[in-house]
Amino acid sequence: MTTDVATAGGTELLLDEARRALEIAKRLGADDAAIRVAEGRSTEFVYRDAALEKVQDSATKVLGVSLYVDGRYSNHQSNDLRPESLESFLTDAIALTRALEPDPHRKLPDPALYEGRTEEDLDLWDPTLVDLDRDTALEWLSAMDKAAHEDETVISSASQLAVSHSAMARVSSNGFEGTRRGTSITAFTEVTVQDEGDKRPEAYAWAAGRHASDLGDPVDIARRALRRAVSRKGSRKGPSTRTKMVLHREAGGPLIGRICGALSGGAIQQERSFLQDHLDKQIASPLLTITDEPWLTGGLASRDFDNEGIATKPRAVIENGVLKTFFVGTYYANKLGWDPTTGGPSNLVYALGDKDEDQLIADIDEGIFVTGWAGGNADMTTGDFSFGIRGFRIQDGKITDPVSEMNVTGAYLDLLPRLSAVGNDPFPWSSMRTPTLVFDDVQFSGS
Amino acid sequence: MPPTSLATEPFASWLGLDDVLIQSVLSEATSRGADFADLYFEHSRSTSISLEDGIISSAATSVDQGVGIRVVVGEQTGYAYSESLTLDAMRQAARTAAAIATGSTPKVKPQAIGLKSHPDYYETGPIWERVAVEEKLPLLSKVETLCKQLDPAVQKVSVSWVDGDERVLIATSEGAVYSDRRPMAGLRLGVTAVKDGERQTNHGSLYRRAGIEHFTDERLTKLCKETVERTMVLFESRMPPAGEMPVILAAGASGILLHEAIGHGLEADFNRKGISIYADMIGRKVAPEFVTVVDDGTIDEERGAVNVDDEGSPTERTTLIENGVLKSFMHDKISAKQYGVAPTGSGRRESFRHTPMPRMRCTFMEDGPHTYDEIVAAVDHGIVAETFLNGQVQIGAGDFTFFVKNGWLIENGKITAPIRNVNIIGNGPEALRDIVMAADDAKLDTGGWTCGKEGQGVPVSQGQPSVLVKKLVVGGEDRA
Repeated sequence: MTTDVATAGGTELLLDEARRALEIAKRLGADDAAIRVAEGRSTEFVYRDAALEKVQDSATKVLGVSLYVDGRYSNHQSNDLRPESLESFLTDAIALTRALEPDPHRKLPDPALYEGRTEEDLDLWDPTLVDLDRDTALEWLSAMDKAAHEDETVISSASQLAVSHSAMARVSSNGFEGTRRGTSITAFTEVTVQDEGDKRPEAYAWAAGRHASDLGDPVDIARRALRRAVSRKGSRKGPSTRTKMVLHREAGGPLIGRICGALSGGAIQQERSFLQDHLDKQIASPLLTITDEPWLTGGLASRDFDNEGIATKPRAVIENGVLKTFFVGTYYANKLGWDPTTGGPSNLVYALGDKDEDQLIADIDEGIFVTGWAGGNADMTTGDFSFGIRGFRIQDGKITDPVSEMNVTGAYLDLLPRLSAVGNDPFPWSSMRTPTLVFDDVQFSGS
Repeated sequence: MPPTSLATEPFASWLGLDDVLIQSVLSEATSRGADFADLYFEHSRSTSISLEDGIISSAATSVDQGVGIRVVVGEQTGYAYSESLTLDAMRQAARTAAAIATGSTPKVKPQAIGLKSHPDYYETGPIWERVAVEEKLPLLSKVETLCKQLDPAVQKVSVSWVDGDERVLIATSEGAVYSDRRPMAGLRLGVTAVKDGERQTNHGSLYRRAGIEHFTDERLTKLCKETVERTMVLFESRMPPAGEMPVILAAGASGILLHEAIGHGLEADFNRKGISIYADMIGRKVAPEFVTVVDDGTIDEERGAVNVDDEGSPTERTTLIENGVLKSFMHDKISAKQYGVAPTGSGRRESFRHTPMPRMRCTFMEDGPHTYDEIVAAVDHGIVAETFLNGQVQIGAGDFTFFVKNGWLIENGKITAPIRNVNIIGNGPEALRDIVMAADDAKLDTGGWTCGKEGQGVPVSQGQPSVLVKKLVVGGEDRA
């Protein structure tokens, strides 16, 4: 039942399983079907205050199926892959599909879109992460833990190391076949320090990648977390103001990445996107250029085909401030009468400026440096947003007092044109490779 | 009641489990010693259906099963799970989990295992397995039709339905075996309206640990009316001014204040590690006398109800704050042992893939001495927060936030204009001290709240009376 996805042959075995499930689905009455079989293993170690706190081993395997029966559609997944269970699972699934209403837009992708997969090696596999030696992991964690405690006000610190490897195979009844496998590693440290009174500010730092070498020195992660926690001491709310906002490269991804929700075919077709009438229009400062880059070497979201099997290609999302694409999968493309692009973004890569964080801050007389978020949300129909922030005041080109209990509020179509500088320092440990960003005249609320 | 053999438990026999097999896996898990170990068997099935553009054109089903094996030594946890329920696979996972123990770990004395009973706070029969999809489809269509009838400006209605049964069997190294079957169903509604070229969207939901009989015409009509009203009012809504001001948290969904500002900080894992702002506050006066806050797993059919928690402790009603005094944390077995108290039945997990930790169930504040009208009249310039999308908290710093979808501006003791889409931020202990009034209108929210902690989502519910907090920071705009 369980294959070894760590070997190249492992993905072939998954492909065989997917083909067999496709045959069964067809035999039981599906007109069309797509099958996905995915398997993954991971190990996680958590080390807290000089002792091992948790070790977890995970191994999972799941089969997913999309069914097209008599003009109707449904999708299903199960991890009970025993042959007798699979047969009855698919029988029930097909019966359920027949009870739904027909929808002419539910179809597999045009097979022409399966063509043109990149031949390049995306470099997503690090064999050393398949069996990360327990002693090596504990050695790293012990060093991280030690570094995270190098301040007498530390109350507690936990460091975590997680490695995983996974593989998947996808087949569809109109000719798609593909496999993919990848490894990943994440290292994370969280530190809590004692402040005045009962306050115990916490902070974290992390790094992640496809290869062990992507992390750099894990001890640096712990040091970064400690520095951040200590810097939070004495934080208080500043006055409500409109001022410059410098976004730390780690904080920019979540704010800007949210826009992708308004770029999805579903949001456009369901009229829940503030960007639905803005294709090929200027929505941001000319400094903003973002590319969806699925072929990024070693990228966390790199892929040669998307989750429908459509061959990926790089695509300008925003070019010099002009909106260039929506993320439209087959179903919503059919509903909109458009050509599909791809259902969602992969890696988001920015056109860079020529200054780093320190240089950008040095240029600013007065502003707020936002280093992290504290809740909040955005309305993708109107583009309104309101988020809690953690950060620092900037005065005369320098980072000064820590601020908390403040919100930043506005609307994306008002904010994006206010982008006045882009850093040269993209965040390397996420699929959103966001550099430091500077926005002029942004609304903060505080005391 | 004396323990009963597993042979009488249909779920156990259906999974192919018996006393000997469970005993054997537990022995393997404790073979290197342990404080305790447990097995968490789960079989979950769910069905979801969605309606968009007037067509019910998509459904999904999911089957997920496996066993999670945990070995606890002091504050250390070894964990592994197996999706296969063969003896070999389970013993392999047990050996992996057991590796946390070292030579010096105390040995566990094997106990005879027996099935224990528990009270039922919801129907534990195979509720959803027996409901045909044809019975569910009309509910979705009814909701769509109702919304479109309520206002001609309603342009798009999307309805999604989900139901499922989660069967669990928990076996502990102390010899207790509990079986539970947890139904859940919910309907979520999205409405987009268009007026003078402007578009607004809002959502509503209705969730319950219950069967299809809960989804009556009356409840669905109420859901549709409220959601359409709350969508249409967005056209007239604006951003409030930015800054600190008094905030009235309206009865019901405002329980999110308790969940974020107090609840998480009282989960005992954060306190045993010393990283919660509340770590040293038990026995202290933290709020005015009229504030009593409870976390309760025993309320019939509540989304946060559990018959037994996910590590085999009976559920209960836990008083967190009584007449303004902090009384108790929420404990799982690990923290209870460390604090020398009984677990509060708060050990919960997302699934067999996860370790349990202290979590909230249904968190609410009891009635206060004031009326809603008195509270509004007491505010010169502030807001009422009425519906919410999400919230979060920093456990140690104590700063919490929640996002307000709909609310109202108060000027000179009167509600004047609707507001929308603002984040509110405050500090937990400060906000508790700053509660100045609470009304006599407490109610539980009926929406589908899911609480996330360390990557695990569990269903919760919450509620409270209308409460006035002296000052919180309201996201807003000062337009030049």
